[in-house]
Amino acid sequence: TGGTARTYADAYLPLSCRRDAPAPVAQGSARGPWGGREMGKGQGERRGAGCVCTQAGKRGFRAAGSRGRVKGAMVVSVEPHRHEGVFIYRGAEDALVTLNMVPGQSVYGERRVTVTEGGVKQEYRTWNPFRSKLAAAILGGVDQIHIKPKSKVLYLGAASGTTVSHVSDIIGPDGLVYAVEFSHRAGRDLVNVAKKRTNIIPVLEDARHPLKYRMLIGMVDVIFADVAQPDQSRIVALNAHTFLRNGGHFLISIKANCIDSTASAEAVFASEVRKLQQENLKPQEQLTLEPYERDHAVVVGVYRPLPKSSTK
Amino acid sequence: MDIFLFKNQLGWVLNEKKLQEVDSLWKEFETPEKANKIVKLKHFEKFQDTAEALAAFTALMEGKINKQLKKVLKKIVKEAHEPLAVADAKLGGVIKEKLNLSCIHSPVVNELMRGIRSQMDGLIPGVEPREMAAMCLGLAHSLSRYRLKFSADKVDTMIVQAISLLDDLDKELNNYIMRCREWYGWHFPELGKIISDNLTYCKCLQKVGDRKNYASAKLSELLPEEVEAEVKAAAEISMGTEVSEEDICNILHLCTQVIEISEYRTQLYEYLQNRMMAIAPNVTVMVGELVGARLIAHAGSLLNLAKHAASTVQILGAEKALFRALKSRRDTPKYGLIYHASLVGQTSPKHKGKISRMLAAKTVLAIRYDAFGEDSSSAMGVENRAKLEARLRTLEDRGIRKISGTGKALAKTEKYEHKRVQRKRRKRKKKEITRINRKELQVYHLDTSCLRFNWEHTRDAL
Repeated sequence: TGGTARTYADAYLPLSCRRDAPAPVAQGSARGPWGGREMGKGQGERRGAGCVCTQAGKRGFRAAGSRGRVKGAMVVSVEPHRHEGVFIYRGAEDALVTLNMVPGQSVYGERRVTVTEGGVKQEYRTWNPFRSKLAAAILGGVDQIHIKPKSKVLYLGAASGTTVSHVSDIIGPDGLVYAVEFSHRAGRDLVNVAKKRTNIIPVLEDARHPLKYRMLIGMVDVIFADVAQPDQSRIVALNAHTFLRNGGHFLISIKANCIDSTASAEAVFASEVRKLQQENLKPQEQLTLEPYERDHAVVVGVYRPLPKSSTK
Repeated sequence: MDIFLFKNQLGWVLNEKKLQEVDSLWKEFETPEKANKIVKLKHFEKFQDTAEALAAFTALMEGKINKQLKKVLKKIVKEAHEPLAVADAKLGGVIKEKLNLSCIHSPVVNELMRGIRSQMDGLIPGVEPREMAAMCLGLAHSLSRYRLKFSADKVDTMIVQAISLLDDLDKELNNYIMRCREWYGWHFPELGKIISDNLTYCKCLQKVGDRKNYASAKLSELLPEEVEAEVKAAAEISMGTEVSEEDICNILHLCTQVIEISEYRTQLYEYLQNRMMAIAPNVTVMVGELVGARLIAHAGSLLNLAKHAASTVQILGAEKALFRALKSRRDTPKYGLIYHASLVGQTSPKHKGKISRMLAAKTVLAIRYDAFGEDSSSAMGVENRAKLEARLRTLEDRGIRKISGTGKALAKTEKYEHKRVQRKRRKRKKKEITRINRKELQVYHLDTSCLRFNWEHTRDAL
């Protein structure tokens, strides 16, 4: 089974996750031990250099996370991650956590931590990057996940709702995540998760036919696709044309084995990116999910980018 | 001017607009005001409740047109005599077939649909976004339930809750009865010793109350003759103290409570039996309702129970003993909750372990059949139970059969086998019997008369 909090958090959290991370220097420089990063092919903007600095600057004046109780000689604390809605738990082992929307309940048996900040007890759930591609991408140092509080997310390939629950934690009660899953077994668990969290809307339909569930879904800001199908670019494209707003973003997790098990992983990723570009889905970032998954990559991009206005 | 049919969780929305080029369209839909200039709400047919919406959408998914939609389309579109734009080409085909309306479907249409979708809130006046969100959520859950073919009587949470309530009730009932006995014993201690059954005690108490009324009271329906006479006699010479009216009143209240709870408990037990039979008929046949319900409650749900191995189900409920034995490297327990099943109860202590293992193996099959199977018949459970009972009988008879049974077995095979094989068999049997006799000589210190009997008996068989 995937690692528990002890195994994955033993590896240190990369520098890019911290608030005070130095801005990335140039494209060629190595970004820590999580290799395999390449930028999109001349398309899209280089958000890296600008963003981190400004974010670090913005947050520098905020309170430095919450100090928890002292465990023996060690202070346990939770500090916000560079991505909004995601946090880092610093204790005996470091872990990636999200704020639990339903305190007191574990969705898939994950470890929960309670920290007192400013007199209020907050409960966080640990996020396992071996089970969740999104967590692996965040720990891998993806630049932007675009899933923030109050955003509307379309999640294709929701399975039993383990990652969907974390997305639901991030977007908070004002956001909405439409979880699409075709399998009935997993769908049962998904519906159970959705019963507790009102910002998850379960859709038990085939993602290949977005017209079949078009009456349930409004326009979304982000599409996250983890479907593991050979025609997944077509699936994402169909859904984007129907539901994704102009200037909306997409995150696709590509499993090289699934698309073409004979070709090499890099070739598969390149061909998938090309297919996406043909459908007006412009990729901006791509990174592999080593060491959590083998031959997996996550592509982040924008759909029908809004024309750049004068000020930035 | 085109009319757009847009399906929404709230109803059918028909918008009216002029067709334009694709590129600039999305700009027009950036704000609600701009959107309202391009498309105008022509008609909004609202669904009355979730059930109606569910019916409409399931019909749509199968490719048929709902009656309501037909009515709306006929009324509005036929009057306007304009082509209808739809998002789904197949639906357009169906509408054309059934209602003879011309439908169009093109990239421009898709663009406009996107625009309409993004400004849905603004285009429909008088609808709050919260209402829309709530309706959306409700509809999504109903649709998922429809997909999963959810049936309300297959929910195993009822079982878990019912069995926990049963245990709680038993505990509470016990406490109340003890309290009642102690309290009334202050006034009439002998009654407690005479009537051992709790419910009869309370009913008797309720009927009579104060000790003085015993002589005139009729207790014939509750108690048999001799006991009634005993009670009346004891009432005369009782050594309890006098109690006031108010005190008796309170004790009577407690008694009424006890009797009510007892009745509820029997009712709850019947309910539990019904539910168990409905949800897990095979398990009920194998181990009984109570044990089955306890197993499900211990695991949390029927699905969780189905995921356990047979060896786990065998010792479910004996975790403390199990881990204690594992830690100190001693023998682990042989049975947990399964011990209370009737099959295990009716065997001799020597064979309880074996039967519990066999029962656990077959029960796990029954559990999985109930949890994942489509039909809900108990044929498989009945079959397995019959098999187990046959095996149980063999196990019990094993001491006698081995010696007297070989004669019968031999006799049958003699008919069909070749002489050479027969002779070999006889030689083998002889060896085995002498071996058995030697064993018996060692284990049981039999007197020679018994042994002689055994030897002669086998010699006759040969």
